[in-house]
Amino acid sequence: MSISRRKFIGWMSAAGLGATFGKSAHAAANKQFKGYPDSVGVLFDNVLCIGCRNCEAGCNKVNELPPPSQPFDDLSVLAKKRRTSSKAYTVVNRYENTHSKKSPIFRKIQCNHCLEPACASACFVRAFTKTKEGAVVYDASVCVGCRYCMIACPFEIPAYEYDEPLTPRIRKCTMCHPRVIEGKLPGCVEACPTESLTFGKRKDLINIARERIKKFPDRYVDHIYGEHEMGGTNWLYLSGAPYKEIGMREDLGTVPAPELTAGVLGAVPIVVGLWPVLLTGVYAMTKRKEQIAQKEKEQAVFHALQKADAAAQLKLSEALTKAQKEKEVAIQKEVKKALAEVQKVQKEEGS
Amino acid sequence: MKTARPLLRQVGILVAVALFSITGLGAQGVQKLLEGSEEIRADIIPIDSMRVFGRLERPEVVFLHDKHTDAIEKQNKDCQACHQMENNRLVPKFKRLKDTDKQAVMDIYHTNCIGCHKETSATGKKAGPIETCGECHPKKNLLISSRQPISFDHSLHYRHAEANKDQRTNKGDCALCHHEYNEKTKKLFYAKEKEGSCRYCHKKTTEENRSSMKLASHDACIDCHRKKVAVKIESGPVKCMGCHDHEMQKKIEKIEVVPRMERKQPDFVLIRVKTPGPNKEGPSFRMNPAPFNHKAHETYNNTCIVCHHESLQSCVQCHTSEGAKEGKFIKLESAMHLKAKEQSCLGCHETNQRKPECAACHAFLAKDRRPESTTCQLCHMNPLSGVSKNIAQDERQIAEMLLNSRKTKVLTYNAEDIPEKVVIKALSEKYEAVELPHRKIIHTLLNNIKDSKLAGYYHSDQGTICQGCHHNSPVAKKPPNCGSCHGKPFDESNAFRPGLMGAFHQQCMGCHQVLKLVKPTSTGCTDCHKLKRV
Repeated sequence: MSISRRKFIGWMSAAGLGATFGKSAHAAANKQFKGYPDSVGVLFDNVLCIGCRNCEAGCNKVNELPPPSQPFDDLSVLAKKRRTSSKAYTVVNRYENTHSKKSPIFRKIQCNHCLEPACASACFVRAFTKTKEGAVVYDASVCVGCRYCMIACPFEIPAYEYDEPLTPRIRKCTMCHPRVIEGKLPGCVEACPTESLTFGKRKDLINIARERIKKFPDRYVDHIYGEHEMGGTNWLYLSGAPYKEIGMREDLGTVPAPELTAGVLGAVPIVVGLWPVLLTGVYAMTKRKEQIAQKEKEQAVFHALQKADAAAQLKLSEALTKAQKEKEVAIQKEVKKALAEVQKVQKEEGS
Repeated sequence: MKTARPLLRQVGILVAVALFSITGLGAQGVQKLLEGSEEIRADIIPIDSMRVFGRLERPEVVFLHDKHTDAIEKQNKDCQACHQMENNRLVPKFKRLKDTDKQAVMDIYHTNCIGCHKETSATGKKAGPIETCGECHPKKNLLISSRQPISFDHSLHYRHAEANKDQRTNKGDCALCHHEYNEKTKKLFYAKEKEGSCRYCHKKTTEENRSSMKLASHDACIDCHRKKVAVKIESGPVKCMGCHDHEMQKKIEKIEVVPRMERKQPDFVLIRVKTPGPNKEGPSFRMNPAPFNHKAHETYNNTCIVCHHESLQSCVQCHTSEGAKEGKFIKLESAMHLKAKEQSCLGCHETNQRKPECAACHAFLAKDRRPESTTCQLCHMNPLSGVSKNIAQDERQIAEMLLNSRKTKVLTYNAEDIPEKVVIKALSEKYEAVELPHRKIIHTLLNNIKDSKLAGYYHSDQGTICQGCHHNSPVAKKPPNCGSCHGKPFDESNAFRPGLMGAFHQQCMGCHQVLKLVKPTSTGCTDCHKLKRV
């Protein structure tokens, strides 16, 4: 059996397409990703946090961010419910303790570095990468600025440089990925004086957190936030008050974001890619249809005209022959009449 | 085009619903808030007497008892205006002795309540509802009950005993309140020196032959108070608020030092489990028995039921060494050591450790820690020489002897052996080295617990107090430096151990927080550290 060149190329491309889409669907549907082994993270224990903002200062320093509007030793800002911004990758907010008024509870906010990040799954240019060290990092060079990641993030973390007219970027905590690779601590962890931030392998952090709950059951809520939330995060939390009371979402479930949206988001590149082709095709087809219709119309008119012409000719010729006949008949009649008259005259002359 | 149009329509509907729910629901919430004008009282009695005849046809009546008592007083009437007498005692039910049938009970309420309201309003006074049903049977109760249960503590008990003393014999009349029930004669009788808490028999709900605690106390207390007031003798409250209002409870007179209640209870007890000896001759003990100062513990608590929760028997009666049904299968060992239960020895002692002066050190000790085996012997004392292990002598005497041999004073090393200042310079970077007022801290901690007998006994060893900070190392006059164990943070091989800076800050700040010190504050770095001059 011989295969033509064209057929062979066709088969190959079909196999390639099948492999790509088939694989992605398989990954989303089957099992849960438990995170890279030995990936690192940070455990934030708000029972030990004193709300000194040293972590904010440490983050600012190592990331070379612009100075804040209020200096880091001004603790009055803690009362405001602040969010992370393109100029502050981490913020600490103060919450009232419903159990004891005098000891408020502090909550540190920064990127949680999900095991399966929603931002990365929403990004169609793959600007986000979940590194094997645990951090979710961003590559500005491929970013198109669609800000899908900001919408996708359930923790409302990525921030956009709206004041950057030419090259705006998404900004968020990187868990100090470059420093971690060098063997250094993240800026905030290094700056924390009370070790309310513990740096280590995620699996160790979970053990440490469990141990603390076990040792001091009166002090902690029996839950490690981030162990399972959104499929798990590399940043983990221990709290002395219910997480809901300190503004942390308890409705997120344990399913990672990509799994929820894999079907829809998986279709996005195809739709986006195919759109121009589809539209052009539709345009071309309509255009062609119009042309054909025009041609057909012309032809139809032409035929109609021809038809009408022929009919008229026929009618004319019929009329002509009829007239001819009538003429001939009339002539004959006249001839007969004349002949009869001639005969009548001859008879009268003869008699 | 054909599919796009229904989609557009759906989106439109969704937007409309969203807008409505945001604006409409928001407005409703505000309205609800404005409506809720709730009143807080301690005398609210919901009348749901009809419930015994089935489902209520209308919402229960919210009855304010004290309001009615006051109104009736003004009309120079007494309790019998509403309550009938039986066996010379008021019946708590309204205008009847028993719930006969549905219609009759309903009529009693309707005719008498409305009748009285009508009579009162006829005289031109303010009276309760007459016409509309909803005024007595409100659909939504806007009143909040602030009723507080009252605790009949040692002080109140003593005052009652004193008030009912016979003037000539100077003896209390315990039979006035304390009684037991004779199953055969079906009568109450007084059993001398068997007195117990009312709650041992009168439970939460009325059972056969015995009324609920609520009913029994209202029956007996109010009746007695009322009779005394009637003959102009100073007596306890008659109205709801008198016992159940939080503010009124605070005004109840308290006797600071209550003389001991005499019921032939022991002064000293030797707590122990008896098991037959190896040769089945005479008792032998698994542990050294624990001497217990019953007399002293009576003064530490407000009531007897704190420890004797079911009856005034000894613990071993129900909590046997193997566990028995009467003791809900809780073994004696658990009954004495379960930290989660306040009735247990360790549970109560642990509660005491939550006081700031104790918590300064004890808050840092893990809840699930296993005590060192040497601490067992502090309670399970070694028998004194001369007292044989087979205790055949008077156990109570032995217990007393053992208890008297105890040292109950907090001790520590001589002042000159305790460094006055400790300079912490290992971490000095941004700030100068910290000078820790070491001796002053120890003396403050000691001073805080010097009056506590409990603390005294358990801290009578010289080095014990040092362990508050110098934890996890053997007791010594010169314990290891903090830096011997705590070094760089996040050491993988010692994941649970904080680094040196974390350890210092957690320990210092934690203790300051427990002691509620105003200064140094946790975020005031320069309260402890001097800034380094560059």
